Amino acid sequence: MEEQLQRLPAEQLFQKEIDALIAAEKDPIPTGWKMSPRSVRTYICGGKAGGQIITPKYIGHERLVEIAIATLVTDRALLLIGEPGTAKSWLSEHLAAAINGDSTKVIQGTAGTTEEQIRYSWNYAMLIAKGPSREAMIKSPVFNAMETGTVARVEEISRCASEVQDALISILSEKRISVPELNMEVPAKKGFSIIATANTRDKGVNEMSAALKRRFNIVVLPSPADLETELEIVRTRVEQLAAGLDLNAVLPAEDVVEKVCTIFRELRNGETIDKSQKVKGTTGVLSTAEAISLLCNSMALAGSFGNGRIDDEDLAAGLQGAIIKDDDKDTVAWKEYLEHVMKKRGMRWLGLYKACKDLL
Amino acid sequence: MQKEHSAGPNVFGIRHLSPAGAWHLRNFLTEKNPKLVLIEGPSDLNDQIENITRPETKPPIAILAYTKEAPVRTVLYPFAEYSPEYQAILWCRENGVKCRFMDLPSDVFLAFEEKRSAGFARGDEPDGDRAKAKAHDGGTADEAAGDEDKADIEASDEEDAADKAAGNGNSAEKENGRTDRDEKQELSIYSLLDLKTGEDGHETFWERTLEQTESLESYRMGAESFGSNLRELSAGDEADWPEILVREAFMRRQLKDAVDSGLKPEEIVLVTGAYHVDGLLDEAAGPMSDEDMKKLPRTESSHTLMPYSDYRLSSRSGYGAGNKAPAYYKLIWDALNRGDLTYTAHSYLSKIAACQRANGTPVSSAEVIEAVQLSNSLARLRGSRFPALRDLRDAAVTCLGGGSLAAISIAVADTEIGTAIGTLPDGVSRTSIQEDFYRQIKENKLERYRDITAQDLALDLRENRRVSSKSAAFLDLNRSFFLNRLRVLGISFAKKQPVSQDNATWSEKWILRWSPEAEIELVENALRGDTVEQAVSFFMKERVENAAGMSEIALVTEDAFECGMPLTVAYATQALQAMAVDNVSVTELAMTADRLSAILQYGSIRQVDAEPLVPILKQIFFRACLILPGECICDDAASKEILTAIEQVNRAVLAHDFLDASQWCDTLKEIAERDDLNTRLSGFAAAVLLERGSMDGEGLQLEVGRRLSKGIPADLGAGWFEGLAMKNHYALIARLSLWEHLDNYLDTLDDEEFKRALVFLRRAFADFSAGEKDSIAENMGEIWGLNGGQVSETLNKTLSEDEERSLREAVCGAEQNDSQSGASEQSGQLVESLEDFDFDM
Repeated sequence: MEEQLQRLPAEQLFQKEIDALIAAEKDPIPTGWKMSPRSVRTYICGGKAGGQIITPKYIGHERLVEIAIATLVTDRALLLIGEPGTAKSWLSEHLAAAINGDSTKVIQGTAGTTEEQIRYSWNYAMLIAKGPSREAMIKSPVFNAMETGTVARVEEISRCASEVQDALISILSEKRISVPELNMEVPAKKGFSIIATANTRDKGVNEMSAALKRRFNIVVLPSPADLETELEIVRTRVEQLAAGLDLNAVLPAEDVVEKVCTIFRELRNGETIDKSQKVKGTTGVLSTAEAISLLCNSMALAGSFGNGRIDDEDLAAGLQGAIIKDDDKDTVAWKEYLEHVMKKRGMRWLGLYKACKDLL
Repeated sequence: MQKEHSAGPNVFGIRHLSPAGAWHLRNFLTEKNPKLVLIEGPSDLNDQIENITRPETKPPIAILAYTKEAPVRTVLYPFAEYSPEYQAILWCRENGVKCRFMDLPSDVFLAFEEKRSAGFARGDEPDGDRAKAKAHDGGTADEAAGDEDKADIEASDEEDAADKAAGNGNSAEKENGRTDRDEKQELSIYSLLDLKTGEDGHETFWERTLEQTESLESYRMGAESFGSNLRELSAGDEADWPEILVREAFMRRQLKDAVDSGLKPEEIVLVTGAYHVDGLLDEAAGPMSDEDMKKLPRTESSHTLMPYSDYRLSSRSGYGAGNKAPAYYKLIWDALNRGDLTYTAHSYLSKIAACQRANGTPVSSAEVIEAVQLSNSLARLRGSRFPALRDLRDAAVTCLGGGSLAAISIAVADTEIGTAIGTLPDGVSRTSIQEDFYRQIKENKLERYRDITAQDLALDLRENRRVSSKSAAFLDLNRSFFLNRLRVLGISFAKKQPVSQDNATWSEKWILRWSPEAEIELVENALRGDTVEQAVSFFMKERVENAAGMSEIALVTEDAFECGMPLTVAYATQALQAMAVDNVSVTELAMTADRLSAILQYGSIRQVDAEPLVPILKQIFFRACLILPGECICDDAASKEILTAIEQVNRAVLAHDFLDASQWCDTLKEIAERDDLNTRLSGFAAAVLLERGSMDGEGLQLEVGRRLSKGIPADLGAGWFEGLAMKNHYALIARLSLWEHLDNYLDTLDDEEFKRALVFLRRAFADFSAGEKDSIAENMGEIWGLNGGQVSETLNKTLSEDEERSLREAVCGAEQNDSQSGASEQSGQLVESLEDFDFDM
């Protein structure tokens, strides 16, 4: 059964590690948590528990992880902000998985999210038949989290309409939901908290109110600080992803990963890695996450139509797709990059340059 | 690492600028109740202990030792309120216990410094041999490592902290003179440490493990084992290891002397850097002998107390003698004194919130409370009882800054570094120049500017007629004198700002900002004189004596006027006179004339008699007139300077009636008429004459005819026109005949010649405004019998690409022909300016 699932939740994927950490626990565990804050940190940043090696899930900014965990210990809500593809949802899922062993209490914020989805709604057939009752009530993930004293996640909070965001304010400040239809109030159990994520590129879509922001501790997740960190992130993630998909291709060579990360970083930062040359940026974000999916795509291409090994043609197709979104400016920027930067890099890059050139 | 201290002397190992160290040291002293306290600090500075303890003295302060001969070298010993050494001194004062400094005298440190810099005169890149120790026999040694260059003192935080933690030396600047090799080695020790603690650095490690220790014994043990571990790791490898050994031998000698004087060892407390504890207790090494004492290098030096600042203490601002967050460490000190260690976190976060509010960002108390909770939970995550600076800052960023440090960076800097400046009672062992400086600050009512925040000061030099007393009437003038003197001495307290032209004669703008650097600069000037005025006068005389040219002396004269120093003015005037008879270039003469003329014009506002300058100006003017025509034989590159010179002399003649205008006109006429001079200068001379009204229309007509007649080479003819066109644009435009001449002349040129002429003409017309070019075009239209408007339109339209290319070729062609003048550069500019200027001849 599990084998057929496209993607398992984090707590099932890393069940062994979580069990090992719980077994090796030495520090005090906060109410409602499955493990101590330190173990949560080990789970996310990597380390050892008993004999089990814990793989790092979030690489590069350990201190930010500490701040996030410390925030949740103080039963305050956590807001992760960052550019698309900076592992906000990834981090939030793993935090929930480590703290509660359950990362599935999620509300996906969209323009269509309603207040009921944050609080509770009704089974209308039952409501009409029997009138308001506990049985007729459909509880939201937040409601459930409050009742069980666990962590609920709200993804892309800034995409929700402001009235939906406002519904969170009373929940976060009062730590209780009132159900006037049943004349009752449900207080949150200890351990309840919310991890929300928001996208800096979505600023202005539904700007968060000051009142709501004030109820969160805000942690800004940056892009990977340097090429080495990014390479490590991409390599680990591609490995994990490829293991779950039947791609029929070998893992990308060191050299390929480095090329993709270099191109992405340079276009993202608007200058070459050695800071010697300015580069025109593109409209897309070119996040680490995109680099990861690009490599997986290329593996799929190579596996299905090629010789199972990512060659320059596969990579070029992926690069062009990722870099040129729908804007003419992107084409210009990409062409300039090819001519001014990549072409001058010498033999190692020549194959890729030609392949990219042929596609344009 | 436990040690038995009971029998021998009590050694208390500290870390400089450690609040917990200061706190525990006081308790330790109370517990032991010693009869003598020896403190690590230069033993010749004992006379300052009295002043340090005066009630009016408020830290941060520093003892500054400096050499008495130039170049001045300095060693600094800063004290904050929470310096263990400072608190030990205070405790002794309160309890009537004797206390002394026990380290090498400051003059020995200064001598080490001198040797060090003599070792490698350039003082930049250390070489391998440098760290080689030159050991004298008998243990007196000095090492050849270190770097005198002050820039080098801006050592990495890593290294500074290493010094502090090592308790290595008295956190004086000399501490930072280390070799690269040394630094690398220290880094590795600390990166090991960092790995062990898993934290961002040993600074945080120290704070978590020792600053938060509430028990005296565990602090002492902790600091000592920290010191001796470090010593084991680095002993012998450090470049200044020989110096350390010498210092420890000297300190052991001090201890022995104390014991010899009849005190029991256990009645003595030694306060020293944790690093030295093992060294001082090393019985085997023994004290320094009399013989060795004599061998110590010495240099003549003096010392003074000076106010210090938080900013200077923070290593961010350079000098390593301090810690990263002096104001934050003060909060820890306050917390210890209140007996409530949570006070640090509360006051740190409240201060940041207050600062944010003051800067216009609303912050609620609820957010501060959240920040306190977050910092506590971060501390627990790291296993410490109270949040360290790192936790507090991260909590502030998360809860008060919305996740971004930039949002609260000003508040963070204010709260961590602070703006406190120390104060000293009046007359406390300052150098006399410092006394004088502070007396004048008071006299000129500038006390409120003695602050580390920069403040503007606008001065009106005119007499204030609304007040009764003379000193009040000229307050601003006196201030100006004083500030100008500081400017001349290079003391960074006052910075002069440029003022707009219309009131430049009577107003001055200054930016004032006090800093310990300014204080040090002041002390360095002590060699020049006992008062600010004396120093300025001495320095100016020096400048006059070393002056390379006349204009430099003129500059001194100008400075002397601005400083209100008539005697120096007289001295510089004499020097000018002496120099004026020598061979001097005309540009130098003109520059001098220009400066003197300015002094004479505006000098009266400063109440200084400028009359003695009149004869000199006359003399210089006369000489300039005589040699100017001769100097006009030059190439185009040199002509630029002469042009400026003509302009400067002309300005002086216009400003002063006592200069003979007719002689000036004769000179100009000569230049204008002679054919063997640089034609550009001749043209310019004609332009000046025209401007002065000494050349009439007829004369100009003749001259134009002569200069632009057939057969004259293009660069001469067009060059002359360029000089002429530099002035009086309107007068030239109004004369139709002039343009006719020019037109005819250009017609006579063949293609090659025309291209050459183009270079000069384009340059000549570059200064004309669009409207003026329009009028010229209309003139041309009239000459050619065309509609003026149409001509203007055609001539002013943007060049087509073809035209631009052909012009470029023309210019390049001219360039090839015209190799001796700087035509290539000019033509380059010319092509660049095509967009702005489209006057196609």
